Amino acid sequence: MREVGIVGIGHTKFGRSKTGYIEMACAAALEALDDAGVKPLAGHGIDQVLLATMGASMINHQSSVASALVDTLNLRPAMAETVENGPASGASAIKMGYSLIASGMADTVLVIGAEMMRVVSGWEGTDFVATMLHPEAEYDLGLTLPALAGMFTRLVMDSYGVTERDLALVAVKNHQNALANPVAHIRLVPDLHAISEDEDKDAVNPYVAEPLRLYDVCPVSDGAAAVLLCALDVAERFPKKPIRIAGIGQATDTHTIAEREVPTDLYAVREAARQAYRMSGLCPDDIDVAELHDAFLILEIVESEEVGFFKRGEGHLAVREGKTSLGGQIPINTSGGLKAKGHPLGATGVSQTVEIVKQLRGEAQGRQVTDAQRGLLVNFGGFGNNVVALILEKEA
Amino acid sequence: MFEETEGAVYGYRCTACNELHYPKHQVCRACAGREFEEFPLEGEATLVTWTKLYNLPEGYMKPYLYFGIVAYGNGIRAAGQLEVSSPRLGMKVATTTGLVKEGGKDDVIGLIYR
Repeated sequence: MREVGIVGIGHTKFGRSKTGYIEMACAAALEALDDAGVKPLAGHGIDQVLLATMGASMINHQSSVASALVDTLNLRPAMAETVENGPASGASAIKMGYSLIASGMADTVLVIGAEMMRVVSGWEGTDFVATMLHPEAEYDLGLTLPALAGMFTRLVMDSYGVTERDLALVAVKNHQNALANPVAHIRLVPDLHAISEDEDKDAVNPYVAEPLRLYDVCPVSDGAAAVLLCALDVAERFPKKPIRIAGIGQATDTHTIAEREVPTDLYAVREAARQAYRMSGLCPDDIDVAELHDAFLILEIVESEEVGFFKRGEGHLAVREGKTSLGGQIPINTSGGLKAKGHPLGATGVSQTVEIVKQLRGEAQGRQVTDAQRGLLVNFGGFGNNVVALILEKEA
Repeated sequence: MFEETEGAVYGYRCTACNELHYPKHQVCRACAGREFEEFPLEGEATLVTWTKLYNLPEGYMKPYLYFGIVAYGNGIRAAGQLEVSSPRLGMKVATTTGLVKEGGKDDVIGLIYR
């Protein structure tokens, strides 16, 4: 099987897009092509384009978008497909690009993740995201992702002593990291006392789904990110040294969270990470930097345990001790995470990959992890019913 | 208090091995059987976790709703709306069904724990 690396990256500013869907996706794609020194003219050498999106058809009323992208980017006759796997679409598309190259079907694959969610009302957006849930046993009841996250958070708090202040500590850390990330959606740092202890905290940081508060939940963002994958045996075509995809794992779990044997487990995260470690021959201690899917802040804490950085029930203690901050034992979400950088669903896994590539290249100015050699990312779909984990490694 | 109960919500028992499922699965998780018989979700259950949700999806004209996940004595766990004054983990709740979403002719009847 051929080895695969990343030789180009692109990323739009997350937030509210000023352009249409196609133009936004193309902006990230062109930045990645420029980064890789690829001119989109005849002989461009791009064999395949994969577009990761959850909502282009439902929200933006555009289908078969990958085909449209290939044409407008002047990348014909490249193969093209759209990949939909909920909020894990981005890392799923990278996994599929990897497979195409490893199998010999393609030498180069451009993966674009793009989502434009702010064109609909908050109500409509919440409803759209909730369509991931079980139609009869969850969605029809009025359940939403924040509701499931609220119930999950209460269980974890009750089981392991996680507090609202612990979640606020994660929020402050991730917002602090986002200050150094020019593409982050929200670039301000909330005051820890004001959002977690002040007598007016209910006004400053109101409940969304008790015990989850506003600052425990990611914003709704537009945005796009792109990576150019290539076989390592053709990597000399490109000016920048490839960052190797060393490990990939993916696992699924029950559709309804009520059916899970241990409701505080994120089994699919644990299994996806285990597969990625096994494929790469690495272990949690080998990882220097991680992007974990913190759509709700409790997820960063529990995922940090499920991927093996900390023991069960100790992730929040690591946060208190600064172990997940820049300069700590394992810096997590140096990009600002979904919490502060934003979470345009289909773009997220690609965006997480861009951040790890920047860290491994030494290009994460202002938030650089010293001498980072290997990074892990977890892209989480549904409420953990489909999870993709990637491990990237700097070539020696 | 429960007179307003309407309809029923069902669990599914595998006819080959008696494994219980909720919601419906096409294949039994224990024996890969494909035939199931329905049984109503009813009676007392234990509240496993709960939330008070403020940002409701489109179509709800209410400021908030309570939701919970409960566990039945037979091992089934299910989510439902929650109508109790002071929810607490481990409390006993009664299974009822009622209107969980208003949609005119598309009204949805679902689980409400009281």
